[in-house]
Amino acid sequence: MFSYDNTKLVVRRWLLRRLPACKETVETISKLMDRPLTVREKAEVKVHLLVCSWCQWYMEHLQTIRATLRTQQTEASDEKIATMPGMSVEARERLKQKLSNPN
Amino acid sequence: MSEAQSKVRDKAPDPGAWVDEHGDYLYKYALFRMRDASAAEDAVQETFLAAMKAYAKFEGRGSERTWLVGILKHKVMDHFRKSIREAPIGEMADDDGPEHAEFFARTDSWENHWNKNYAPTEWHSTPEELVQQSDFWKVFNDCLSPLPARTASAFTFREVDGLSSEEICELLSISVNNLWVILHRARLHLRNCLEVNWFTLDKH
Repeated sequence: MFSYDNTKLVVRRWLLRRLPACKETVETISKLMDRPLTVREKAEVKVHLLVCSWCQWYMEHLQTIRATLRTQQTEASDEKIATMPGMSVEARERLKQKLSNPN
Repeated sequence: MSEAQSKVRDKAPDPGAWVDEHGDYLYKYALFRMRDASAAEDAVQETFLAAMKAYAKFEGRGSERTWLVGILKHKVMDHFRKSIREAPIGEMADDDGPEHAEFFARTDSWENHWNKNYAPTEWHSTPEELVQQSDFWKVFNDCLSPLPARTASAFTFREVDGLSSEEICELLSISVNNLWVILHRARLHLRNCLEVNWFTLDKH
């Protein structure tokens, strides 16, 4: 057990030393959200993610944030809109007045 | 008012009744998108004014409300465009949002890898769960609001509205490389802010 874990750690460190660091990797992960990656970028990110759960989570989080915002946007349906406060009586009066006398 | 204008107006329904029937819905929709009561009021007013002028073209095709919401969507986009154009130069020109160099600052030999104090942790919520929680939206808005106007707009256009990079570059008059920098900073900031203020709190 010990030697297996130890080997894993050594391999992990060896790889991380040779790949672009986390700082650059999260930049590439951000690009991945907006455009297709080059073959090289894709390979570097893929291997980095194999050995780095922080960056793996980072990518998952960006995807979670996007999915949440887009779901909310499509559910900008009546249910969500209904939770917004309505127009005040004053605002309604202002609006009516403006519309009956547009100029 | 010219004779032609009054003719068009005669065809439109009584504005008072219109406001009573659709005003609240349109206002809530605008508020939902813009998060600003006075901007929402303006957008609704412009929508009704545009609708009154164009009523002849509507001719009762489809539902009146759907037609009005269609106009309102354009007015909301116009508002975003305008607020981007009118933002103070200083705020627009150079400030792309915080760089957050501290996220990757380390004193050991692993410089440029995550600093443990800022490294991501596992989140235990799905998008479906998150959209249901109104507290989450409060935290989200609090996290988005400190970003510079252009950065927040770029992020919203991309992540919420799903516009392409090209469309956003055109809207904001920036280069695509600049856009990627801006989006990256917005994501770094927001992800961290959400993690600190939402995901690591025990109640979730």
